[in-house]
Amino acid sequence: MKFYRYFAALTAMVLFALLVAACGDNTTTTTSAVTTAASTTNASSTTAAAKATTASASSTTAAATTTNASSTTAAATTTTVAATGQVTEITFYFPTAVEGPITKTFDGYAAEFMKANPDVKVKTVFAGGYADVLTKIQTEVKGGGTTADVAIMLSTDLYTLADNDLVVPMETFIKDAKDGDTWLKDFYPAFLANSQANGKTWGIPFQRSTPVLYYNKDIFKEAGLDPEKSPATFKEMADIAQKLTKADGSRWGIKIPSDGFPYWLYQGFAISNGQNVVGDAANKVTFNTPAALEGLKNFQSLITDYKAMPKGVIVWGDTPKDFISGNAAMIYHTTGSLTSILSQAKFSVGVGFLPAGSKGYGSPTGGGNLYIMKKSSAEKQKAAFRFIQFLTQPDRLADWTQVTGYVAPRKAAWETDTLKKLVADKPQYGVARDQLQYAQKELATHEGAQVQQILGKAVQSVITGDKDPQKALDDAQKEADKLLADYKD
Amino acid sequence: MRIKGSKKPKWSNWLLNLSLLLVSIIWLTPLIMTLLLSLRPKKDSLGIGNPFFGTGVSLENFQGAFEAVPWLTYYGATLIFVFGVLSVQLITITLAGYAFARLHFFGKDFIFMLLLIQIMIPSAALLVPNFATVQSLGLFDTKWALMLPYLGSAFGTFLLRQTFRQIPRDLEDAGRIDGCNWFKLLQHIYIPSSISAYLAFSLTSISAHWNEFLWPLIITTSDENRVLTVGLSQLVRTSETGAQYGQISAGTLIVIAPLLILFLVFQRQFINSFLRSGLK
Repeated sequence: MKFYRYFAALTAMVLFALLVAACGDNTTTTTSAVTTAASTTNASSTTAAAKATTASASSTTAAATTTNASSTTAAATTTTVAATGQVTEITFYFPTAVEGPITKTFDGYAAEFMKANPDVKVKTVFAGGYADVLTKIQTEVKGGGTTADVAIMLSTDLYTLADNDLVVPMETFIKDAKDGDTWLKDFYPAFLANSQANGKTWGIPFQRSTPVLYYNKDIFKEAGLDPEKSPATFKEMADIAQKLTKADGSRWGIKIPSDGFPYWLYQGFAISNGQNVVGDAANKVTFNTPAALEGLKNFQSLITDYKAMPKGVIVWGDTPKDFISGNAAMIYHTTGSLTSILSQAKFSVGVGFLPAGSKGYGSPTGGGNLYIMKKSSAEKQKAAFRFIQFLTQPDRLADWTQVTGYVAPRKAAWETDTLKKLVADKPQYGVARDQLQYAQKELATHEGAQVQQILGKAVQSVITGDKDPQKALDDAQKEADKLLADYKD
Repeated sequence: MRIKGSKKPKWSNWLLNLSLLLVSIIWLTPLIMTLLLSLRPKKDSLGIGNPFFGTGVSLENFQGAFEAVPWLTYYGATLIFVFGVLSVQLITITLAGYAFARLHFFGKDFIFMLLLIQIMIPSAALLVPNFATVQSLGLFDTKWALMLPYLGSAFGTFLLRQTFRQIPRDLEDAGRIDGCNWFKLLQHIYIPSSISAYLAFSLTSISAHWNEFLWPLIITTSDENRVLTVGLSQLVRTSETGAQYGQISAGTLIVIAPLLILFLVFQRQFINSFLRSGLK
């Protein structure tokens, strides 16, 4: 009996050993390569770190803390650096958030970049949705692994990324780059609002968007309205919506989605009534101001007073489909949906600014920025910045806008022939750009996702009729204050 | 008597069949919807044209799905991942199940309890530690990294321990008298009597790992190591514009096709194995 037991244990161990050996077999060759690479990379990254020390005080700590981590673990992807001594390999993580051949497009951009910059090799990695990219990077950093050198993440993740020490500001790179300042100044200020904090630029706007009003021109014409004129004020829009609503529910005048990120469209209401829900400070929100209250009351009145919008939560993803099928005469939605709406609608589509509130036009911005990771070596960070500059060249941004429907974030991009022609053919594409002068920053603070959720829940509770606007906003303000109390600035 | 007796069950048989038909139609609806949506022309929104086919049948959703994702590469990686995990699991759970069922050793109950606790820890909570382990082994972005956390299975061990315990000890004793060592016992007595448990476990293991998303997404960066779910997510992640049902449906069909065929072919065996193992 005893013999069998030992034999069983022994066999199990042998099996396990075999397994490990098999693992090892597969990787021994690479492991040895990595070790040699590691030693050389180690040297190069220390010199790089030394250089950075002289460059600026702020990056000294960055370089110092990352040296040991990156030199041992980053080795896996940097074998080539050691091999040739010239090529810097950088990894680029991107999410998808809109329809389109995103992966193929980025592969194409990377190939173009490498052709123009033979000393840099870019590896593009699809990393899920926005939330997945953040999870992937956080896991990799916490687990002591290699992570991206440059990545697209939500512009509102700025404070989360900075608080967790994941990204570096771009100032040094911008200073070193040729015409760096002019390049940065060419971005629309509304987009930079979510990219800068504490006087530093943490992210570069890339795939950005803003909500607009879509309206069905055919229905407008049918009802005797001017189809070329989009409703200018909230009152005007609400009256039209009421008129276009059919009592049997077969057509609603307006649909404003309120799931997913309900705070976002609501921000347009608050801004157009005089005050955004967030200012420059990252530890303060202004949820229960008179402007915010008036905005939320307007939002609610579409359901309760005008009866032009169905009661209850409206699903974000279904809203464009309701518009296309004619079930909604007008919708609020992102410009990111423009391409698919134009291609699917069997009627002529009008696009306008979000209607003005008591203090004029107003809308938030949204979408993703390009970030450079703190964990990367100084050398890779520099290469990553060159890649960012390449991606934000006017021609490339114009192409990206055409492929995806995002709003090109640089003024120069709209001067390219591609976008000039696009706007001439389909003036709808120009609306979001023109609205940018009235746009303000998207809700972003410390603990950003949670704060967004607090406001979103407040908005939803009013839409579903559970709370009255004043109480909902007061509660949300209290909850957010409590959450942000620990943050000094 | 006989005639009356046989008439009655016929009538109730017919009722039973009808209700089964209804239930199966309800169960099939998602699949049929997926199929119909995937064949709908891209430009047709849901309210346009024939409620089933829109304005016609079109393969452009599939074309789009194939352009966006290197499915064949992902199929290869998924097959290696899923069956690699399964084959190692079958060995580890057999040995562990046998040890827990029949051997006596120090701390057996305690170790078994630890194993059961492990079932209750959600795998997402282990993301970072697992990552750190894989990283320290230098296996990041390899197929081994994909498989490593799943090579042992607490659930499978538990299932086999229970199954092995139900096999009468007399059989084992008889085997011993005939001169079987433990390996022969497993080979001739335990494994053949537990085929249905093995089938049931294999099925759950395959479908669980076929659907695994977050771990493969995080631990791999190269196309050759990525699995089908990661490919599918490229079509699904359209949070900003809202779901593109046609393309999602096409992608879903591409991903589930092998499992679906596998199931149709081995349908009877699967169902029997579930019935016999008492697993739901």
